[in-house]
Amino acid sequence: MSASDILLETHEVVVRFGGNTAVDRVGIDVRTGTVTGLIGPNGAGKTTLFNCITGMQRPDAGRIVFAGEDITRLAPGSRARMGMARTFQRLELFLSLSVRDNIRVAGDIVRANTGRRIDVEAETDRVLELTGLTDIAHRDVSDVPTGRARVVEVARALMTQPRLLLLDEPASGQTEQETERFAELLRGLADDGLAVCLVEHDLPLVMGLCSRIHVLDHGALIASGTPAEIQESPAVIEAYIGTEVVA
Amino acid sequence: MTLTQPHDAVRPRRSEEPVLELVGVRAAYGAIEVLKGVDLSVPAGTVCALLGPNGGGKTTTMRVASGLMPTTAGEVRYSGRNVTGITAGEAARLGVCSIPEGRGVFANLTVRENLWVATGTGTSLAEIEEAAYTRFPKLGERRHQLAGSMSGGEQQMLALSRALGTDPAVLLLDELSMGLAPMIVSSMYDIVGALAAEGISILVAEQFARVVLPIADTAALMLGGRIVQVGDPAEIEDELSTTYLGG
Amino acid sequence: MFLTFTVLGLVLGAVYAIAASGLVLTYNTSGIFNFAHGAQAMIGAFTFYQLQVVWGVPTLLAVAIVLGILGPLMGYLLHRFIMGGLRDTAEVTKIVVTVAILLGFVSLSHWVWSPQDARMVRMFFGADSYVSIGGVVIRYHEIICLVAAAGIAIGLRLLFTKSRMGVVMRGAVDDPDLLRLNGHDPERVAAIAWAMGSTLAVLAGILITPVGGGALEANALTLLVIDAFAAALFGRLRSIPRTFVGAVVLGMASTYLVAYAPSNWTWVTNLRDALPMILLFVVLLVLPQDRLRGAAVRTRERYEVPTVRRAAIWGVVLVVATVAFRQLIDDSSVGTLILGLTFAIIALSLTLLTGYAGELNLAPISFGAIATLVAFHTGITGQGLDARMSLTGLVLGVLAAAITGALVALPALRLRGLYLALATLAFGGIVSSMVLRETQPRSWFGHEFALFPQGTIIVWPLKVGPLDLGDQDVFLYTTATIFAVLGVGVIALRNSGYGRRLAAMKDSPAAAVMLGQRLVRLKLSVFMISTAIAGLGGILMSMALSSVTSDHFVYTLSLSLVMLTVVGGIGYVSGALFGGLIAGAGFSLIVGTFNELGSAHPEHASTFSIISHLILVAVALVGVGVAHNPSGNMSSIFAGHRFLAGAPEVRYAAIGVTVVLYGLAYAGVIGTWTFGILVAVLWMALPALGLWLRAERLLPPEALAARRGVPLELVGVDVPYPDGFGGQLDRTLGLPARARRATPTIPAQAQAPSEEGESHVRV
Repeated sequence: MSASDILLETHEVVVRFGGNTAVDRVGIDVRTGTVTGLIGPNGAGKTTLFNCITGMQRPDAGRIVFAGEDITRLAPGSRARMGMARTFQRLELFLSLSVRDNIRVAGDIVRANTGRRIDVEAETDRVLELTGLTDIAHRDVSDVPTGRARVVEVARALMTQPRLLLLDEPASGQTEQETERFAELLRGLADDGLAVCLVEHDLPLVMGLCSRIHVLDHGALIASGTPAEIQESPAVIEAYIGTEVVA
Repeated sequence: MTLTQPHDAVRPRRSEEPVLELVGVRAAYGAIEVLKGVDLSVPAGTVCALLGPNGGGKTTTMRVASGLMPTTAGEVRYSGRNVTGITAGEAARLGVCSIPEGRGVFANLTVRENLWVATGTGTSLAEIEEAAYTRFPKLGERRHQLAGSMSGGEQQMLALSRALGTDPAVLLLDELSMGLAPMIVSSMYDIVGALAAEGISILVAEQFARVVLPIADTAALMLGGRIVQVGDPAEIEDELSTTYLGG
Repeated sequence: MFLTFTVLGLVLGAVYAIAASGLVLTYNTSGIFNFAHGAQAMIGAFTFYQLQVVWGVPTLLAVAIVLGILGPLMGYLLHRFIMGGLRDTAEVTKIVVTVAILLGFVSLSHWVWSPQDARMVRMFFGADSYVSIGGVVIRYHEIICLVAAAGIAIGLRLLFTKSRMGVVMRGAVDDPDLLRLNGHDPERVAAIAWAMGSTLAVLAGILITPVGGGALEANALTLLVIDAFAAALFGRLRSIPRTFVGAVVLGMASTYLVAYAPSNWTWVTNLRDALPMILLFVVLLVLPQDRLRGAAVRTRERYEVPTVRRAAIWGVVLVVATVAFRQLIDDSSVGTLILGLTFAIIALSLTLLTGYAGELNLAPISFGAIATLVAFHTGITGQGLDARMSLTGLVLGVLAAAITGALVALPALRLRGLYLALATLAFGGIVSSMVLRETQPRSWFGHEFALFPQGTIIVWPLKVGPLDLGDQDVFLYTTATIFAVLGVGVIALRNSGYGRRLAAMKDSPAAAVMLGQRLVRLKLSVFMISTAIAGLGGILMSMALSSVTSDHFVYTLSLSLVMLTVVGGIGYVSGALFGGLIAGAGFSLIVGTFNELGSAHPEHASTFSIISHLILVAVALVGVGVAHNPSGNMSSIFAGHRFLAGAPEVRYAAIGVTVVLYGLAYAGVIGTWTFGILVAVLWMALPALGLWLRAERLLPPEALAARRGVPLELVGVDVPYPDGFGGQLDRTLGLPARARRATPTIPAQAQAPSEEGESHVRV
C-alpha cells in the first residue's frame, strides 16, 4: 500500500474546550479502497475529531488534508462538494420525504450545486438496488425502523458519488442481522474503491470489518494498526478496561 | 412531593427492599429503543457497578433511574415504592443524587454558584461549601472562578461535591472517569469509596471496570440494552476483556 | 445643546433597555422569543391611562396596580396556559403563537380603547417639573426613566449573582436537565422569568409614551418589540449588560440624528422612527454565522403533497366554483370576494416559503406595498376613468418585490429562522414609517415626485390586450384563475428537484449541507420567488381596493394573514386559500354584517359591536390553538376525506346534495349565507357521515367488531388489542398506572404492537 492511496490525513490536530484538550495532536489517515475504524472509550475525542474532518468543528491547531488539498478552513458544504459524505449518529433523515426521495434529493443537490451532470432517476434506482432498499422505496422515511434508516443515510450519501464516506456510529440501533448485512455493504463499497471511515462502539463489528484501526484515549492517539495488532496492544486494553492502579 | 401511591396499599413495604430497583425497564430515544428490558437492583448500603462497553445503555439506565428519562415500559422503584414517571426534581428532593455523564456542572456559573444551585434539595449553602472546600481545598481557592474554565478533574470534583454536601440516600454516578487522567480517576474513586463507607447506596456506571470493581459489592454487565450478567465483581472481571474487545 | 440631546438620548435608551431586558429574560429562560412583548407594554400603558386619567386613581396607586398586579399576572398566565406547552415545537409554531397573542392584545385594546380617540399621557410630575444642571433641563419624568433603568440594571445584576433564584435562572439557560437533578423545576423558573419580563414590558410601556411625545397609540407601542429586539441583538439575545449598551446606542443615535441632521432633510423624522429597524439590519450583518448543528427537526407538522394532476383538477374546480358562486351574490359583494382571493395569492407566498422551505416572512403585505408603488409609478396609462395598469407595470412591480425580498433576506439568511422573521417584521416597520410616509414630492434620481402622493393612490385595474379587469366579473374570474395557476405551479415546484431540496433544507439543514447544498443560495432563491408572489398578490389587492392608503399595508394585517394561513395549514395551497379568504374577505364581511345589523337594529347596536369585536379576539385565540394542531385545519379535513376513499358513493352523494343546494340558492329559496354554511358543514362533516352510513366499507373488520362491542375478555381473541388497551385494563383492574409513553414523536406503528403485546403477558 503506497502513500498515494492516502485520501484523508489529519496532522497534529488539536481541539480545546475551555480547560480541556479534547483532541491532542492527533494524526490519522484514511486510505482509498479500505475501511478504517476510529475507536476509543467515551470522551476520548472521537466525535470531536470526526467533526473536525467534516468541518462542523474548527481545530485550534493542525491541518486536515483531503485528496491532496488542505481543507482545514473549508466549510462543511465545500468539503461535501469535494467528495466527502457522511452519515449521522442521531439520524438526520428528511422526514417529510419518502425513502426514494431522500435518496433522490441528494442527486438533485449534486446537480444544482456542482457542475456534475448525473441522471438522477437512473442513479437513484441503481443506489436503491445496491443498498437493498428497493422494497421500501415508497415508504415514508419516518416509518422506517432505525436499522434500515441507517442504510437510507448511506444510500443518500452514495448518491453524491463520494470518494470518502464517513459513518458516525452506524451500528447503533441495528439488530445483529442488520449489522451483518451492513458490514457486507460497506465491504463491497470499499472493494469498489471507496474510502470508508467509521466511528463505532460495536467493537466486534470494527474488528471484523476494518483493515486499519486508530484508537483514541484522552484525546491522544494511542494506537494505529490492523485489528490483530490492536487487540493485542496493552495500551488499548488498558484504555478500555482501566488502570491496574487502584486505590 | 405530589406522588400518590396506590401501590403502597396493594403491596406492603418490607425493610429489606432495595433502595433502587428497575424492573423490566424499556426506554427509547425517538424510534431507537435503547433499553430492552433492564432488571437491576441496588440493595441498601451497597455499591453496584454497572459495567459494559459504550453504547450498551448504561447512561440511559442512569437517566431513567434519576427520573430524567421516561420509560416506555417497566417499573422504577425507590425503596420498594413504584415511582415510575417521577420527575428528576422530585427524585432529587427524595434524596436521589445523580451526577450525569461528562460535565455535571454548569459551565457558565462559578464554583460557588454551582454549589448554590445544589442547595435545591434542602441543604444550606454554608454546609455544602464547607463540605466541598474541606474535601477539595482547590475548589475553595477557585470559588469565584467559572466552572467551565477549570480542568476536567476540578469540574468532576465540583460535581462530586454535590454528593458530599447534600447527604443523599442514593448516589448515581455516570462515567466519573470520562476524559480524566488515571491518577485523578483513582482519587475520585477514593472519595466514592469513602461515601460508600458512610453507608450511602451507590450505583456507578463505568467503562473503566478495574477502578470501580474493588469498591463494588455487586457488578452488572450491560450489553445491547440488557443486563447480561450480575454477580460478584471478581467473576465479572474475568469476562471483561473478551466482552470489550470482541476477543 | 449637545448635552441636552445626550440626556434625551440616554432617557430613550433607558426605556429601550427596560423593554429589551425583559425580552432577553424570557427568551433565555424559556427559549421563546416573545413577539407580544411590545403588545404587553401597550396593554400596560393603556391600563395605566385608564386608571390614572379616566378613573382618576392616584398616580402612585395606578403605578402599583399595573406593575404589581397586571404585569406579573399577565406574564404568569401567559406562561402557565400558553408558553409552557410550547417546548419541543417548531420555531414557526412558537412564533405564530406569540404573534397570535400580539394580535389578540391589539384587538382587545382596539375594542376597549377606540383607536379613533386621541389620548395623551402626561409625564410623571408633569412636563414642568424639572431640574436644571449646567443649563441642561432634565424633567422629573426623565430622571425616573434613568433611575428605573439604572435600578433595573443593578437589580438584575444582584438577582443573577446574589440570589439563588437568579443563579438558578442562569443555570436554566445552560442545562435544564442538570437543574432538575439539583431538585429545581425549570418550568417554575421560566414562569417567574415570564412574570418579571412582562412587568418590565409594562414599565417600559408606561414610561415611553410621554418621552415620545405623549400620544398613546397602540400600534407604535406594539412595535416596541422591534426596538427592544434591536437592542437585545447587541448582546446576541443573551447578555443583559450588552443589551443595555445596545439600548443606549439606539437612544443616542435617534436623538442625535434629529438634532444634527441638516434641516432640509425633511425625511429625518421618518428615518428616526425607522432607525431601530435599520440598526437591526446593520447588526444582523455583523453577527457571526450560526454554527451548524446536527438536529433533524422532528416536528408534529405533517403535510401531504398532492400530485400536479390532482392539483390541476382542483384548480379547475376552484375556478368553476367561483363562477357558480358569483351567480349567487349581489354585485356589491364581488369586490369583497376579489379581495379575499388576492389575499389568498399573498398567502400562497407563505405556503412556498414557510410550508415548503421552513422560513418565515412576517410582512408579506409590505412586499405587496413595494410592488404596488412601483407598478403605480411605472404602469398607469391613460387618463380619467379610462386609466389602466399596464402589463409592464405589473411585471416591474413583481420584480421590485423580488429584489426587495433579496435585500431584506440577505443579512438574515446566514442566521436562524427567528432572525429572518424579525428582519421581515422590521422591514414592514420601515415600509410603514418611511416609505408610506413619503407623501410630499421630492427629488428622486433627478425626477420630482412623491412616492406615495397625498397618502392615497388610485391603482387602476389591469388591461392586457382584450383582458380588462375594469369589469368586476372579469376581475373576479381572473383572480381565481391566477390563484389556481399559481397554486398548481407551487405544487409542481414542490414536486420538482428544487422542491425536494427545499424539503431537505427544512427537515435537516445539517444533512443538506453535508450533501453539498449551498443553503444561503437556496434560501435566497425561495425567498425571492415567495416575495414575487406576494408582490403580485399585493398589486392585485391594490387594484381590488382601487383607492389605497397606508392603512391597507399595516403590519397587523400581515400578521393576521400569516397566522390565519398557519391555522388553515401553511403546508397546503388550500390553507393559503383559507387564510386569504378569512383575512381578506371574512373580516370585512363579519364587521360589515354586524355594523349593518347594528344600524338596522339600533337598540342592539352595542351588542352587535361586542360580538364583532369578540370574533376578532377569538380569531387570535384560534391562532394560539396552533400549538395543538400545528399542521392546520386543512390537514385534519384532508385526513378525514382520505379515509372516505373506500366509499366513493358518499362523495358523489355529497356532490349531488351540493348541486341541489346550489339550485335552491340560485332560485332564491335559501339565502347565500345559508347555502355557504350548509355546504361547509356538509363537507366538513362528511367523514363522520360516511362512517355512519357506510361503516362496513370503510373500516377494517376488527374495528367493525369493536364498534359492535366485543366483550372485554374476547379482545385479543376475536380482535387484536387496540392501542392503549393495556392502560385501560390496568385502570379497570385497579392496578397502578404504568409508565407514560416516552415521546410523542415515536411513530405509533413502529412501537405500539410489540410493547403492548409484552405488557399483556405481564398483566
